[in-house]
Amino acid sequence: MMEQNKLSPFIAEFNGVSLRYPGSPEVLKDIHFALTPGSFHFMTGESGAGKTSLLSLLYLHHEPTRGRIRLFGQATDTLSRSAKAQIRRQIGVVFQDFRLLEHLNAFDNVALPLRLCGEKESDIRKHVSEMLTWVGLEKQMKAFPNALSGGEQQRIAIARAVIHKPALLLADEPTGNVDDAMAKRLLYLFLELNKLGTTVVVATHNEGLIKSFNFPQLHLANNHLKIIPPSEKYSDMTAKLFKREVKNG
Amino acid sequence: MAKKSEFLFSKSSTRFFLPWMCALMVFIATLISAGGIVISHSLASWQRGVSSSLTVQIPTYDSQGLPRGDAVSQDLEQALTLLRTAPGVLGATILNNAEMAELMSPWLGTDAAINELPLPKLIDVSIDTATKPMLERLKSELNDVVPSAVLDSHRIWLDDLITLSNGILNLIAFVLLMLLTTVAITVIYTTKSSLSIQQSIISLVHMMGAKDLYITLKYSMYSFKYAFWGSFIGFVLAIPVMLGLVVFLKSVSTFMFQASLTHLEWLALISIPVGMAALAFCTTFYTVQRYLKKFL
Ligand SMILES: Nc1ncnc2c1ncn2[C@@H]1O[C@H](COP(=O)(O)OP(=O)(O)O)[C@@H](O)[C@H]1O
Ligand SMILES: [Mg+2]
Repeated sequence: MMEQNKLSPFIAEFNGVSLRYPGSPEVLKDIHFALTPGSFHFMTGESGAGKTSLLSLLYLHHEPTRGRIRLFGQATDTLSRSAKAQIRRQIGVVFQDFRLLEHLNAFDNVALPLRLCGEKESDIRKHVSEMLTWVGLEKQMKAFPNALSGGEQQRIAIARAVIHKPALLLADEPTGNVDDAMAKRLLYLFLELNKLGTTVVVATHNEGLIKSFNFPQLHLANNHLKIIPPSEKYSDMTAKLFKREVKNG
Repeated sequence: MAKKSEFLFSKSSTRFFLPWMCALMVFIATLISAGGIVISHSLASWQRGVSSSLTVQIPTYDSQGLPRGDAVSQDLEQALTLLRTAPGVLGATILNNAEMAELMSPWLGTDAAINELPLPKLIDVSIDTATKPMLERLKSELNDVVPSAVLDSHRIWLDDLITLSNGILNLIAFVLLMLLTTVAITVIYTTKSSLSIQQSIISLVHMMGAKDLYITLKYSMYSFKYAFWGSFIGFVLAIPVMLGLVVFLKSVSTFMFQASLTHLEWLALISIPVGMAALAFCTTFYTVQRYLKKFL
């Protein structure tokens, strides 16, 4: 699932990308950045700055109005529908509004990406149970989304996004509805996945998280993107981890 | 837990409405088609029966109910002479009692004493179907010579019946067409309204990288399954009604209606439920495909 084009060193590459919704001015202007394999970024910026919009370009929900995006080494504007589907399979998305399926219980929601891949039911049962236990929802496996709290729904959305170990994980404010302890726990989950090779982008407002994990930031302000490197001030374990990664990379 | 194979579908009206709608529509369509087939069979047999012969009656009793005696054989002679020389007539013979009895058996039974009944004498006239004598002219010529003779208006009446039933057949074809159109529109409407419930599912699995064909086939097969079961039930329910109608028609008249179907016609009837399910499949396929095209 983590196949990448050997020719391109990047998981994702934005070159002069702009996005405009019909009838409004540009939300994103002239965005340049690249995600190296195995990198971990926060995406920051005020509400309305365009974080969700930028992520939606990454999971191929919108097309840029200008500029070019390459994903897994392939220019997205030349891809066939089926090639786009192939790329989407390698991306896990935690939507800001969760997008859980109301007719499926927690277990089946999390199992969805695996079922779409046609995985064996016995494997699915094992993996999904493990994942739900990790996010602390082993008792809510049979519960339907509308019977769960916001925080619980969010954890299901996260479990669903990571269950198939995607090559790229995009999480849109994934800790907005949980307390700080759970937020950290969820971030450790992303970190685990990151250690296994998944490239991660987490959009968040949570200053505490940003400080304690100290990853570089894709910061959006005034429709432009600025990359803020990890702060030297914080000597958290994860910062060391990041530096080690940079050395290796 | 949702059924493993149906994780893509939320409970929707498709599951309930589509089968019942298909059941009803197939029921009606099957009966109408079967009726159409029976009428077209009967039509063919009427045409066969009428094409080669016609009957002239010479009454044996006058209008007061008294025997006409020698006048009958005189009339018969004159009528025969005229008929045998008329253009388009191949031959004319007087039916004997045995033939009369056979002809009358559907009404009178086999052991009726033909002699004791006030039946007219009958002349069987075989006509050349290629030449087709002018019936109205033949009739007036005959009546000029033998005023009491009655040229059986059977054929004329049958001609009208054939015209009428041809019209009815066209009407049935038209009604069937309307019915199928209605079914198509209803299936399209049902599919679309059920898809609006499923839209969030479709857009999500699309975003997760499910291919268009995978999604369209899943939904099309789903519609097919429910449409097929409904159609099958509608068809099965139509069969006893059809057989009941056959029994009824046979009790009304043994020779008027040809109420039996060939293998090919049964096949045509079976194609109704299959076609209905195929229609549901195609509509769903087309609708989902169009919906997916909204996404990149
Ligand atoms: N689908 C859309 N159509 C039109 N405008 C949109 C759409 N999505 C977002 N926007 C606008 O784009 C801007 C950025 O929104 P968004 O990307 O959601 O920001 P953030 O996630 O940082 O809060 C906002 O002004 C929002 O109103
Ligand atoms: Mg947002």
